[in-house]
This record gives sequence, C-alpha cells and structure tokens, in this order.
Amino acid sequence: MAGFARLIEYLWKYWRRYLLGGLCLVATTSLLMVVPWWVRGAIDVLERGDPHSELDGYALWIALAAVGGGVLRGVSRSIIFNAGRNVEYDIRNDLFAHLEKLPLGYYQSQRTGDLMSRAVNDINAVRMLLGPGFLNLVNTPLYLVYAAVFMLAMNVRLTLAVGACLLLLALVFGGFRDRIRRASLRVQRQMSRMSAHVQENLSGMHVVKAYVQAEPQTARFSELNHEYQARSMDLARVRGLINPLMLALHGFTVLVVLWYGGWLVLSGQTGVADLVAFIFYLNVLAWPMAAFGWMISLMERGRAAMERLEEIFAVEPSIADPESPVALADKERGLEFEHVSFAYNGAGNGEAVLRDISFEVPPGRKVAIVGRTGSGKSTLTHLIPRLHDVTSGAIRLGGVDIRSLSLEELRGAIGYAPQDPFLFSTSIQENLKFGDAEATEQEVRRVLDVADLQSEVEVFPEGIDTRVGERGIALSGGQKQRATLARAILADPELLILDDCLSSVDSQTEHRILHGFENVLKDKTCILISHRMAVIKEADEILVLEDGRIVERGNHESLMRADGVYAQMYRRQQMSDELEEM
Amino acid sequence: MNATDPQEDISGKAYDLALALRLWQFIRPHRKVFFLSLLLLPVHQLFNLVQPLLIKAAFDAVGAGDGFTLLTTGVLFGVALLAEAGAFFFQYYLAMLVAQRCLADLRIALFSHVQRLPMSYFDRNPVGRVMTRMTTDVEVLQEMFAAGAMNLVADLVLIVAIVSIMISLHLEMALVSLALMPFLLLAINVFRIKARQTYRLTRTRIARVNAYLGEAIPGMAVIQLFNRQAKSFKEFDDLNRDHRDAIQRSNVYEASLFSMVEAAGSLSIALLLWYGGGEVLQGVVSIGTFVAFSEYIRRLFVPLRDFSNKYAVIQAAMTAAERVFELLDTPVEVPGRAPAPAAMMSAATAPAGAMPVGSASAAASPPPAASSIIEPSRGAVEFDDVWFSYRPGDPVLKGVSFRIEPGERVAVIGATGSGKTTTIKLMSRFYDVDSGVVRVGGRDVRDWDLDSLRRHMGVVLQDVFLFSGDILSNLKLGNPDVPEDRIRAALRNANAEGFVRRLPGGLQAPVRERGNNLSAGQRQLLALVRMFVVDPEILVLDEATSSVDTETEFLVQGAFEKIMANRTCLVIAHRLSTIRNADRIVVFHRGVIREMGSHTELMEKGGVYYRLHQLQFQEAGGDTIPPDALDAATDP
Repeated sequence: MAGFARLIEYLWKYWRRYLLGGLCLVATTSLLMVVPWWVRGAIDVLERGDPHSELDGYALWIALAAVGGGVLRGVSRSIIFNAGRNVEYDIRNDLFAHLEKLPLGYYQSQRTGDLMSRAVNDINAVRMLLGPGFLNLVNTPLYLVYAAVFMLAMNVRLTLAVGACLLLLALVFGGFRDRIRRASLRVQRQMSRMSAHVQENLSGMHVVKAYVQAEPQTARFSELNHEYQARSMDLARVRGLINPLMLALHGFTVLVVLWYGGWLVLSGQTGVADLVAFIFYLNVLAWPMAAFGWMISLMERGRAAMERLEEIFAVEPSIADPESPVALADKERGLEFEHVSFAYNGAGNGEAVLRDISFEVPPGRKVAIVGRTGSGKSTLTHLIPRLHDVTSGAIRLGGVDIRSLSLEELRGAIGYAPQDPFLFSTSIQENLKFGDAEATEQEVRRVLDVADLQSEVEVFPEGIDTRVGERGIALSGGQKQRATLARAILADPELLILDDCLSSVDSQTEHRILHGFENVLKDKTCILISHRMAVIKEADEILVLEDGRIVERGNHESLMRADGVYAQMYRRQQMSDELEEM
Repeated sequence: MNATDPQEDISGKAYDLALALRLWQFIRPHRKVFFLSLLLLPVHQLFNLVQPLLIKAAFDAVGAGDGFTLLTTGVLFGVALLAEAGAFFFQYYLAMLVAQRCLADLRIALFSHVQRLPMSYFDRNPVGRVMTRMTTDVEVLQEMFAAGAMNLVADLVLIVAIVSIMISLHLEMALVSLALMPFLLLAINVFRIKARQTYRLTRTRIARVNAYLGEAIPGMAVIQLFNRQAKSFKEFDDLNRDHRDAIQRSNVYEASLFSMVEAAGSLSIALLLWYGGGEVLQGVVSIGTFVAFSEYIRRLFVPLRDFSNKYAVIQAAMTAAERVFELLDTPVEVPGRAPAPAAMMSAATAPAGAMPVGSASAAASPPPAASSIIEPSRGAVEFDDVWFSYRPGDPVLKGVSFRIEPGERVAVIGATGSGKTTTIKLMSRFYDVDSGVVRVGGRDVRDWDLDSLRRHMGVVLQDVFLFSGDILSNLKLGNPDVPEDRIRAALRNANAEGFVRRLPGGLQAPVRERGNNLSAGQRQLLALVRMFVVDPEILVLDEATSSVDTETEFLVQGAFEKIMANRTCLVIAHRLSTIRNADRIVVFHRGVIREMGSHTELMEKGGVYYRLHQLQFQEAGGDTIPPDALDAATDP
C-alpha cells in the first residue's frame, strides 16, 4: 500500500499515546470479558442453591468491573481518538508544507478543488482509520482471544462449534473487502470531480453571469451529481448487506450454542451455567462483529485516502534548494541568460516555448522584452525566480547559476510583479508586507505612493487596513496590479521583474508610476515587459521575442534604424496615435 | 490571510425542528420510499425483540429436559433471524436511496441557487467557504441518513417496547435492572448541551481551514516568490490547531458518555444478579427469564449507547443543514420584474431557455416594445443620476448620467478607479444601484429578465476567465448547437485562426482550470473570439485589448470594426487609439463624468480630454512627459 510507511511514521510519533490508550483498552476489555465468567459463577451458585452471600460477592465484583472498566474505557477512547486527531493535524500540516515546496508547474496541472478535497476529505478518512480504526483493530482480536480462552475453559466442543461459525463470518467478510474498497474509491473520485466543478464555477462566477452560463453549468453539475448518486448507491448496496449479514451470522452462532449446547446440557455433558456464559460471551462479541463491516469500510476508505494523499506527497519538489547552496557575492549582480531553452513538461505538448535565449543585463541596467502574445515573454520571466527550471542552458545571477543558490536567497533578491495580480483576502497592508514582513506602516505608505495607490487607498473606509476580499476582489484590476507592484517594491529587491504588471492601468498612470519609480529603480537591475512602446523605448536594451526566440535586440534607436519587427510595432502604435489627430 | 469572519460566529440557538421541517421538503418527493423504509423499522425490531423470548423458551426447554421444544424453538429463532436481517437490509437500502435522492436534489438546488446569487455575495464570501457548504456540509447530511439517525424516534419506541416486555416478564426485576436509567438520561442531557456547542465550533473551524487552503493553493506561486512559506505555514498551522483542539474537546465528551452507557449495562447485570438471583433461588423465576432479561438489557443499551453517536451525527447534520439553508436563503439577484421586450431578442442571441421570470408583476411594467429593434427615442443604454458604492459610505459613482443611442459607439475613459468598470457591472446588473436608474432599451434593468438582459450584452471583462475543457467548449460556452462554421468564421474575424491552429490539438486543445495553461494575451484573444460567436446586440469591452500586444491588437482592431458596426458599443480603454472611432467620449473622474462629447467637440473644448490627447501625442512624438503635466491632466 502506497503511503503505508508514512502512516506508520505518524503512528510512531504518537506511540506513547497509542500505547497508553492501547493499555487502557486492554484493561477495559479484560474487565469486560471477565464479567460473563462471574455470571457463570453466579449461575453455578444458583444451580447449586448455595447461600445468597456468595451471589452478592459476584454481583459486587461485576459492579466494580463495570465502574473500573467504564472509567478506563472513557480514558482509552479519549486518548486514542485524540491521537488520531493529532495525526490528522500533522498530516494536514505536512501536506501544506509539502504543497509549499511544489513548483508552479504542478499547480498548472492540478485542479484546486481536487487538491482541497484531498486535504480535507481524504485526511479525514485517514483520521478515522487512526482513531476508531485503531481502536477496533486492537479490540476485536482481543475480544476474540479472551472469548476463546474462557470458552475453551468451559467446553472445548462447543467452543469449536462457535469457532466454525466465526470462521464462516470471516470468509463472508473477505469477499466484501475488495468490493467495498473499489466502490468507495469510485465514490471519492466522483466527489473530487464534483468539487472541482463547483470550485471552478464559483471562481468564474462573473463569467457565468455575464455569459448567462448558469443553465449549462447546472446541467453539467447535474450530470456529475447523478453519477455521484449512482456511485453512492453502488456503495450503499454492498455496505448495506454487511450489517444484516453480520447480524444473521451472529444470531446463527447463538442458535448453534442453543441447539448444540442445549443438547450437551440435556445429555449431561455441560452445565446450564456454561450455556449462559456462552450466550453472554457471544453478546459481548456482538458489537465488534456488527461493527466489523463499518470498520472494514473505514479501513478501506482510509487506505484509499492515504493512497490519494501519497500521490501528492510522492511528487518530488522538482525545484528545490541545492545540497550545498552557494552564497551570492556581496557585490552588484547582473543577470545573464546563456543558451536558455525551455519546454513545459506535461502542460502543453512539450514543444519548446523558449529557444536558445542568451542575453545579459549588467547591474543597474534595464532590459525590455517585447513580442506578440504567446511569444514566451512571461515564461522567460518565470525562469528567473525558478518558478520553472530551464530545460537547457543556464541563468546566472551575479555570475552564479541560479540553481546553485538557495531558493530563499534567489527569490529574496528578486521583486516580481506578475501579469495576473494575485492578492490574498487580508488587508492591503498585510498583502504588501508579503514583500517585507518587518516593514513599517510608513514604508508601506511610501510604496503605495510610488505605485500611485496611496490616494485611492486613503478613501477606503479602513485605509490600508481595508480587506481586499478573496483574490483582491474588492479592488479594480488596475488597483490590484498596482498593489502587486507595491508589494514587489516593498521587498526592495536588487532585481525587479515587471511582467506587463500595469496592463490594466491607463497609460498616463503607468507612465506616472514608472517615472515616479526612477528613484526606486535607479540602481536596480530591471526586466520589463510591456505592450506600451513609450515605456519600452526607454530601456537600455530591448529584446524582441518571436516564437520563443530573440529575433532582434538593441536600444530603441538602433532597432528603429534596423527597421525590423520592432520598428514595425513601434510605427504601428505611433500611427494609431497619429490617426487620432485627423 | 486569516479567514476569520463575523459570519462564522457561533450562535447557540436551536432551530432543530424548523430545520427538520425544511429537510422534510427535500424528502417529501421521495416520501413513498421513505415511509416504506420507516415501515420496515418496526418489522426489523419486532423480529429482534422476539429473540430473547425464544432464548428464554430454549433455556426453559433445557431446564425441563424437553429436546423437541428446544428444536422447534431453535427453528423459530432462525426464522426470526432471517426476517430481521432481510428487513434490516431493505430498510437501510431504502433509507440510503432516499438519502441519495434527496441530497442530489439538495445539491442541485444549492448549485442553481448559487448561480443566481448577486456578485456582492461572492465579494464577501471566499470560494472555499461556499464550497464547504455545497460539498462537505451536504456530505454530513448524508452521514445522518447512513448512521440511521433518522431512526431516533424508532429507537424511542424500541426502548418503550423493551421496558414493557421486561415489566410484563417480571415487574420487580424490571425495576431493579432499570434503576440506573434516570441517571443515564440525565448524563445524556448534559452531554447534549455540551456537544451542541463543540460541534458548531468544530465545523466553523474546519471551514476556516478550507477557506485558507482554497486561497493558498491558487496563490502558491506568490507565497513562494516572496519566501513566505514559513509565515503561511504558521497561519495555516494556527487554523489547523484550532480545529484540532475543538474536536478533541468534543471527543472527550463523546468518550465519557459512551463509556458511561457501557458501564451502566454491566452494572445492571450486577443488580439483576443481586436481586434476581434471590428470586431464582426462591424458584420464582427461571434461569431462562434471567437470560432473557440480560438479553433485553443489552438491547436496551444499544440504542442508548448509539444515541451519543447518532446525536453527534444529528448535531453535525443540523449545523450543516443550518448553513446549507442559510446559503439557500441568501437572497438571489432579483430576476427582473418583467419579460424582456421580444424585439430585442435577435435570432442569433436568444437561446431557447430564455424564460422570463417574475412575469406575475408584468402588468406593472411598460408593455413590450414593438417589432423593430430598440426604439431610438429610448436610447439603448441610459444612466440616470446613478449613485453606487461597493461599501456603504464609499461611493464609486456619484450621480452619473449619460446615454448611448442605439448603434452608437461610446468610449469611456478615465483613470483607474474612476468608476469605468463599475458602469459595466451595473449595466449587466451584477450589482444594483444605490439610487438613480440604469436603463437598457429604455427599460430599467431591474425590470428586465436577468438572463435576457445579459444575453443582449457581450462583455469582455478585464480578467478573462476560461473554463476547463477545450478551446471549442469555451467558444461555444455551453451551447452545443453552435455550428462549427460559425466558430470558424469567428476565429477568422478575430484573426485567431493561426493562433488556434498552432495550439496542440487546435480547437480541441485542452484548457486547464481558469485557462492557466494559456497566456493572458491568448485568453483575451479567445474572449474576443467568443464575442464573435455570441454576436450580441450591445457590446461592452473593458480594457479588452490591454494585455494583447500591439501586433495582435492591430490584427484584432479590424475585426473590432466589423463587430462594432451597427451595434451599440461601450468601450473602456486606456489608449486613445482604441477610442478614436468612437461616436462619443465620456470622461470619468473619481465617480463623476467630467466631460462628454465627440472627439472634435472635446478637442475644441480644450478640457481634460484635450490635454490627455496632447500628452498622448507628445508621447508618440518621443518626448518625455513631465509627471506633473500628467497630474495636471487628470487632476485640474
């Protein structure tokens, strides 16, 4: 079973609790199992017509065992179930920590809803395995051993008859195991699909509304829902059979004891007291037997869930710290791309997105990248903070291959303002402090000012403490972009990457920001993507990207002289501006 | 990133009965199966309760040395067993059938309700929380059915039946063995009160864990870029630990009650021996009766012991139901007071499902327009002294009035946050105005059937959202009847043929969640193609071309001209080039309209627009613009 080793690890971590809980459980069960034996003694007394005092003794013992067993049972259940909850907590934390290590490429190939379903539902199923599952796993065999010992002490042949019945029960059970496992796996898979659909629908609600998509979306959901219903009924059919079967088999065992044991009593081979004790033992066994079905489905569910979790845990963080990271030299650091090629694996068809890209950004210089949609501009910027790793070639920061640096140092040196602004549902200030957790409120206000957001934030009811809603939904597109820019500036990085990060901002604001920026930027190395030529042309070097290749490079003047793709793009924008004059 | 919210507060009010009644509304359609399942319960129990009597008879037969009676009693016992097992299976199966059917109904009801919630709801509620309502909470209700929690009433009947049988067997012995019952019931009641609180707390806290995950997973790249892993982990750990602590407390309650009930079972046996033993000695009762009593005590304590479990499940279910119904009770967008004027439904844009809602109040609305397109006198779109704020006290639009005539092309410009995007949201009625009126086709948008209103408007939003599936399904957008050649024509018009052809699989190229395997520009291009497919009467473009590079935009521009011809258009753009062909220009500034008129008029006027234009020209000329000049343009 995949993930079994991990499960043992968690159990091991809490072995003291499990041991203590287990010991209490053993004590509880011991006390419980001795009760029928005393009942037998009492009946014996009754049969023989002995004095009442001896009977009172048995009654007292039973009462004491009941109270003691009750207390121990409470303790053992609390300890074991809570240990299960501790493991649940640990797994969820570990999963989160693991997810934090996985690269962007992983998230591009996974659905958020599916990951969430695993982090919530599957972990819960594992928890059931380690709480109630563990308890029954210890208890059931213990019950059986005790019952066997006491029964054998009374009557071997009757015990063998009972044993034969229980064997039958175990056989029936084996048949169900696999069917339940498969059925519940299908139910869980379908649940995941359904969750993913809901997640996507909710995230895209504005589109659903704008395009009047409620009906087709509901129709699709309805399909998934019906499929889920059908799969759940498949499971219910199998699971529903188990309990009645267990009940019937248990009853059948009682019947065997009545008939065979009755005959034994009638033929004088055993006493009525033994018969009563047998019935009592079977009664004690009734619960674990009835719960067997539940326990098996619980174990199967837990196993399937652990496998699904292991699928995530097994994903090696393909982008991780090197074994012995090199420290960045304490000097001005330029950036260098050397014959870099890149292809998405899994996402897309593996075709190269970037081919043989080489360029250099000396410290403090600005390089602009232009190119048509899908030419690979954003992908190129993703490679620098190692959101993806190059397929071949190398990227160097301050002369050091970025793969030799610790991720923390590399990313700490980079301020990245992405094209798609992503904010968290906390306050504006907290979002900005992503860049620098120790930043003072004054510094936050300063970068807001640089990003030209200060005046707008001021009119918000709670100023910089205004919560921005999920993904910053309470802000306009431009505000979000400027907030992500401010976040990047607050980090005060040496290398700033602006990936068309002001596309939703009008050109004058963009220009104002970039000019106000000059103080901030003055000795920073900067990579700039924009579709606005007025912004581009001021860069020290301009790279023109086409189909993942650099087709032209140079500064504005030289590119204009060269009269190639760049000049054409530039003239086109200029032309459209001139058209306005007419 | 902490997911606290006043909405998640714990209120201890018990609406259980009201909730049960509402749940009943979902069971009602399947009531025949439900009742059949309920009917099988007493059958199942009857065959169960007869068994101790048969055991007693068997023991009495052994005592009397009657082998034949032992044999026949055993046969009867076997029959009772089979009948019990059969009834049990069908009862469970039918209960699950009802559960699955009515929860499937509930899920659909939830899903379609959520589709109709206003956008403001989604502004306030994280996706993770809504998800929990729609999946986890409904699952909890299913647990209630599965755990046989619906049988609580039947359990009560069972307890009464057992007590009656015990009394009829031997009154005094019955009283003795039941002596512990009052204490037990008291304990159960104490537990019930404690548990109610902890269960609520638990569910609230797991919802927070969910909400956090729902945000952290899509935002993981940001967390990594800013080296925030440790801090995010700490936040997650806090939420996770809070949840664990709450549930561990409830575990202790549960374990206490469970063990109390179990102990009471054994104690009762002790009492029975202590008292009943004397009776046996005196020959008043038989050993068979004693065994029957012990059997009944066991059967009596099973529902009591399971009560704590069932109660836990019911509590969880009621809390879940409360949340689910709260979501179902969240007011939806008002669907509109009258059907859309039939005339506005051009053949291309009106799918079959456009049913008017709320036609009951149609009489109060103006009669539908005549057969021509929109009456020119009415204007296609009209804002009449519109005030609007997302948050109270923070108006985004302050008395905006303007009008777009049918077929007119209006460009809206202004700084970010000046209220441009909000106008679109009000036109499509994502939000309702605080005061004033927004009219489309001469009619208050609140009088429109929402769906037909939106079908008339083609909106390209700032953030282009694609659904997972493939390119084709995104272009067809849920309408499988769109002919292939219409898609091809749209691709041609948007100059996107080449781009789609280059994708692996072409039109069948996979689109992942949110379209995140495509670049922002590619997504926008597809959004434009989508517009050509939808072919709406009113076209609304919100910075649609802002992320598309100049090269692509130049190609698309011609196509825009085509789609905008003879169509009412509202264009929000930041570049003057995009609006050069507008009939009229509306200049927004901080929620008010500063200027309005044609390009020529505004240029002559020499106001804000003129200055903006001059700046853009200078820029194109290659001059660097002093920042204070820009400030002067927008902030005179």
